[in-house]
Amino acid sequence: MNKRAGIGFYIFLVVFVFFVMFPFIWVFLTSIKPPGEIFNNFNWFSSDPSVASYVNAWNNRPLGRYMLNSFMISSITTIIAIAFASVAAYALTRLPIRFKGLILGVILAASMFPQIAIISPIYNFITSVGLRNSYMGLVIPYITISLPLSIWILATFFQKIPWELEESAKLDGATPFQTFRKIIFPLAAPGVFTTGILVFIAAWNEYLFALTINTDDNWRTVPVGISLYQSQFNIPWGDISAATVIVTIPIVILVLIFQRRIVAGLTSGSVKE
Amino acid sequence: MVAPALILVILVTLWPVAQSFYNSLFDYRLNDPSRSDRFLSSNVDLENYANQYFYLSRDFETLAADAPDPEAADAVSEIQAGIEGYHNELLEMDGLSEQYEEVESMLASFTAIGDRTLKYAEVDNEWAESYKAFLTESSEELESFVTTADDEAFTTNAANVAGTLLMVENTVIESNFIGLKNYSRYLQDGRMWQSLYNTLIFTVVSVGAELILGLAIAILINRTFTGRGIVRASVLIPWAIPTAVAAMMWKFLYDGQTGIVSHYFEQFSLISDASVLLSTATGGMFSVIFADVWKTTPYMALLLLAGLQTIPQGLYEAAEVDGAGKWQQFWKVTLPLLKSAILVALLFRTLDAFRVFDLIFVLTGGGPANATESISIYAYITLFSQQNFGAGSVLSVIVFVSVAIISTLFIKFIGSDLFAGKTR
Repeated sequence: MNKRAGIGFYIFLVVFVFFVMFPFIWVFLTSIKPPGEIFNNFNWFSSDPSVASYVNAWNNRPLGRYMLNSFMISSITTIIAIAFASVAAYALTRLPIRFKGLILGVILAASMFPQIAIISPIYNFITSVGLRNSYMGLVIPYITISLPLSIWILATFFQKIPWELEESAKLDGATPFQTFRKIIFPLAAPGVFTTGILVFIAAWNEYLFALTINTDDNWRTVPVGISLYQSQFNIPWGDISAATVIVTIPIVILVLIFQRRIVAGLTSGSVKE
Repeated sequence: MVAPALILVILVTLWPVAQSFYNSLFDYRLNDPSRSDRFLSSNVDLENYANQYFYLSRDFETLAADAPDPEAADAVSEIQAGIEGYHNELLEMDGLSEQYEEVESMLASFTAIGDRTLKYAEVDNEWAESYKAFLTESSEELESFVTTADDEAFTTNAANVAGTLLMVENTVIESNFIGLKNYSRYLQDGRMWQSLYNTLIFTVVSVGAELILGLAIAILINRTFTGRGIVRASVLIPWAIPTAVAAMMWKFLYDGQTGIVSHYFEQFSLISDASVLLSTATGGMFSVIFADVWKTTPYMALLLLAGLQTIPQGLYEAAEVDGAGKWQQFWKVTLPLLKSAILVALLFRTLDAFRVFDLIFVLTGGGPANATESISIYAYITLFSQQNFGAGSVLSVIVFVSVAIISTLFIKFIGSDLFAGKTR
C-alpha cells in the first residue's frame, strides 16, 4: 500500500512509540535519581541526577559476571546450534530424503515443546553428569530451544537459493559437501547470520533452565540475576533500574544494528512468498 | 546429514518427555531418601543398610548384657536372632553377598558410593515386606521396654536400638511405583484446575488482545513514511529484552508505593487504590496480561505486517473500482488473504502464552493467593520447591498434553501451509 502519511498519522506514530518505550524511559529516569528520591515522589526528572544506583547495582551483585555468563552461554549455544542446523536444513531443503514432512513435523513440534515438560529429566541428567553451575550445563538444554528454531528458519532461507548453481557445481564434479561449503554456504551466509542473532537472543533470554540448573550466584545469567536483585525484605528499585538499563543497552545496540535482519528472520517462517 | 541434528533434537526433547511421563508413575521425591529414585520392585539401600547394620550388631551385644530381667533379655535376643535370620536371607540372594562385601569395604574406607547399581540391591518383594514389618514391630517392642524398665543404662540403649531399627527399616525400600494414582490425585486437585483456568484466561485474553491490536497497528503502519527505522527498532526492543527483565520493570511500574503506572491509574480513577494492581486477584491477572500484551503485540504486528505486504495492491484497486468500501475491503480482501499468516502467528503465540512461566513468576510469583498461578508455575513449584518429582511430572505431562492438543487443532486449520515451500 502506498497511502500518503498525513499529520494525524505521525501523531499516532509518536504516541505509539511513546507508549511502547514508556517503561524504558521511566526506568532510565529512575535509575539516575538519587536512591532516596524514588520513594517519595513521582517527578519525571530528578533535580539532582546521580550515578549512585549504577555504582550500587554494579557492586552489590556480580552483574558483570552475569553478563559474561550470559554472553558465553549464548555464544556457545549459537555456534553449536548453527553448526548442526545448517547441515540439517541444507539436507532437508536440497537432498532427496524420505519422510521430509515427518522430519520437519518433529522439528516443529520440538520447537513448541513446553520447557516445563522436559525440565525434570534434564535436571536429573545435568546433575548426574556433574554439570550443574557450568556453561555446558545450560548449553545442553538450550539446544532444545535453539536447534529446532534454527533448522526451521534456515530451511526457509536455503529454499530461496537458486537450484541452478548447485546443478552446475554438480556438473563440475563437486560432492554434496563441497557444494554446500563452496556454493550454498557463502550464498546462505546472510540467512545463517540472521538465524544466529535470533538464536543468540533466545538463549540470552531463557529463564526457566537458568533458574533451576545454575543456582550458584557466580554462574547465574542476566535474566535470573536481575530477577533476584530483590531480597526478602526490601526491593532496591534504584539498583534494579540501573541494572536493567545496563543489561538492556547491549540488546538495544544489537537491535539497532541488525533490525532489518531480525525482522527478516522473524517473518521468514510464518509468511508464504 | 539430517541425522546428527535429528538425533540431538530427539535426545533433548522426546527422550525427556518420555522420562517425565515415566517419572509421573512413581511416588518420587528427591527430599525423601526412601523415594529418591524410581523403584519398580523392592530394593535395599545397601550403603545405608550396611552402615546401620554394623551399629546394630554391636549395640545388641551390650543391650542383651544390660537387660534387667531374663524376660527382657529373651525378647532382645529373639529380636536379634530374627534380624540375623533376615540378614542371612538377604546375603543368600543372588550375588548379594559379594555386593554386600564390596559395599562394606567401601564403607570401611569412607568412600561414598556413587554407582547406583552397587548402592541398591533388588530384593524379593515378600522378604522386604515381612522384614519391614518385623523391624517396625521390634522397634515398638523395645520402645515398650523403655517405658516399663527402670534401669537407665538399659533404657537409653533400648531407645537407641529402637531408633536404629527404624533407620534399618528405612533402607529397605518398597517399590514406589503407583501407576496412575498421581493422575487421579491431580485431576481432583482444585489448585491444578485453578492454575489451568488461569493459564487459559491468560492465553485467550492476551493472545486475543495482541491479535486485534497487532492487526490494527500493522494495517496503520503498512504505508510508506519517514522514520520507519525508528518505529521498527522501538517495536523490536520490547520483544528482544529478556522476559524476566521486562517483568521486573513492570513490577516496578505496578508497585503500590513507587509504581508510576499504578499511580496514574489511581489518579485517573481507573483503580481505587494504587496497591490494587499487585494485591488483588483481578488486578494481578490484569497486570500480567497487560505486561504480556506490551511485550508481544509489537512482534505480532511485525508478523502480520509482513503478511500484509504480500497482498498485491491491485486487489484493493479492483475492489475500489467495484465499489467496495474500506470496511468491505478489509473483510473481503485483507482478512482472507492474511488468514494463513494470522493462523501461524496465532499458533506460535498461543503455545508461547500457554507455557508462560518467567513473566508471571517474576511479576507476581503466581500470587496473590495463587490467583495468577499458571500451570507451568504450579509444576515448577511442585518439582523444585517441594522436590516432588513424581507429582510435578504429572503437571508437566498435563502441560505437554495441552500443548499437543492446541497445536493439533491449529495444524488442522492451517493444514500443509505450514510446510509450504520447505518440502518440494
